[in-house]
Amino acid sequence: MKAQSDEPLSLVLLGGSSGSFTIFEEILKILKNPVPYALVFIIHRRKDSTAVLPEIFRNKTNIAMKEPIHLELVQPNHIYFGYPDYHLLIGPDGRFYYDCSEKDFFSRPSIDATFISASLSGIPVKAAMLFSGSSADGAFGIKLIAQKGFPTYVQDPAYADSPRMPAEAIRQYDNHHVLLEKGFYKMIREVLY
Amino acid sequence: MVIIEYSELEMLIVRVREISGFDFSGYAKPSLLRSTSRYLTKHAMNLKELFVYIEQGGRAVYDLIQELTVNYSEMFRDPDYFKKVKTEVFNYLDSYPALRFWVAGCASGEEAFSMAILLKEAGLQDKSLIYATDLSNKVLTAAREGVFTLGNIRTFSENYLQAAGTGSLSDYYHVAYNRAVIAPELRKNIIFSLHDLTGDGVFNEFQFISCRNVMIYFSLELRQKVFRLLYDSLSLLGFLCLGKRETLRYSGIEQNFKIIDSELNIYQKIK
Repeated sequence: MKAQSDEPLSLVLLGGSSGSFTIFEEILKILKNPVPYALVFIIHRRKDSTAVLPEIFRNKTNIAMKEPIHLELVQPNHIYFGYPDYHLLIGPDGRFYYDCSEKDFFSRPSIDATFISASLSGIPVKAAMLFSGSSADGAFGIKLIAQKGFPTYVQDPAYADSPRMPAEAIRQYDNHHVLLEKGFYKMIREVLY
Repeated sequence: MVIIEYSELEMLIVRVREISGFDFSGYAKPSLLRSTSRYLTKHAMNLKELFVYIEQGGRAVYDLIQELTVNYSEMFRDPDYFKKVKTEVFNYLDSYPALRFWVAGCASGEEAFSMAILLKEAGLQDKSLIYATDLSNKVLTAAREGVFTLGNIRTFSENYLQAAGTGSLSDYYHVAYNRAVIAPELRKNIIFSLHDLTGDGVFNEFQFISCRNVMIYFSLELRQKVFRLLYDSLSLLGFLCLGKRETLRYSGIEQNFKIIDSELNIYQKIK
């Protein structure tokens, strides 16, 4: 169960809510096996959502996708999704931990729970990104990641379907890279490759 | 939000153990870090102030332990699970003259009340006893009172319907002063009592144990110890139910169980 590559584990973290689904799809299309990092997507979901995201996105990328099990090791060249009604935490031992404590901003999984845990895990973050959404979730978490010196990217609220989430992130910390409408996916591709 | 690092959490764990004897070292650190952070935020304290606060011992440290160990639940959480228990498990249990259920880590009683309703609707209530345990006296007191907000009840009712309840959840509570109180009739087969899964031992033999979303807060080593306790508390052919994102993997007892439902994590002890 050890990481296959010699490079130490690093994380790419992506968070979003309403208006982010199609962005996630487009990003998945950019991703081609192999990548040297682990990607973790957190999108707000209703607790009774039965949609299995790795199934829905199956034909978008050839990288292995999964909803991890509790205590599973985070591995490079894998894409992970949060599971409805649980927060997804990343531990200092490089494992996933599920958590069903209170919701953040009426959301479980919350973006903050994952981002905060990742920022404290000691695992390097290659990039963290926050997209469209209608709550303030994620703003605090992505700020912490930025303050640890890792690169952070926030969608330009001016053209997000739901501007609240990226706007709040920028309000709390104004040094995130802003992903403008023009060259949006080109920029993301450059970050990832 | 007040943020603390793992090194600080370790210091807190040591201090809590010295003051109270309660040992958090076997708890899952990422969750404990999150709950400690939330505790500090809620009480508008920094870590230094928390250290000073718990030096008083007694009540202060006890409050901290209770808040850090509390579980959040809902009635009929994961409706599919309750449906499955009714169809796959109850048919089997029907043949027993008397049944003992254990809801381990029962928090404010949501799961125990759900089980009581399920048993009643299946006609098994009269021969069943539900032992519902938690390590926190505070939540047990709440469980014994069986009082929920109407907001909670709305969610519970939706879950109940999805779990294919045969009546209406309102058959099982009455409303007073804007609160819902669980009917005494439902509570008469439930025994709420104090039990710490990480320290206390076997206290009875059960045909059914549900311990859902409790062990995700324990480390691998502590999980194995608790799994052993659950195994020893189950009668042969008894059922063990875990939360949706938990499995028997890494439990040390997986070879003694048959999988009844791998999605919903229902297992039967076969040896």
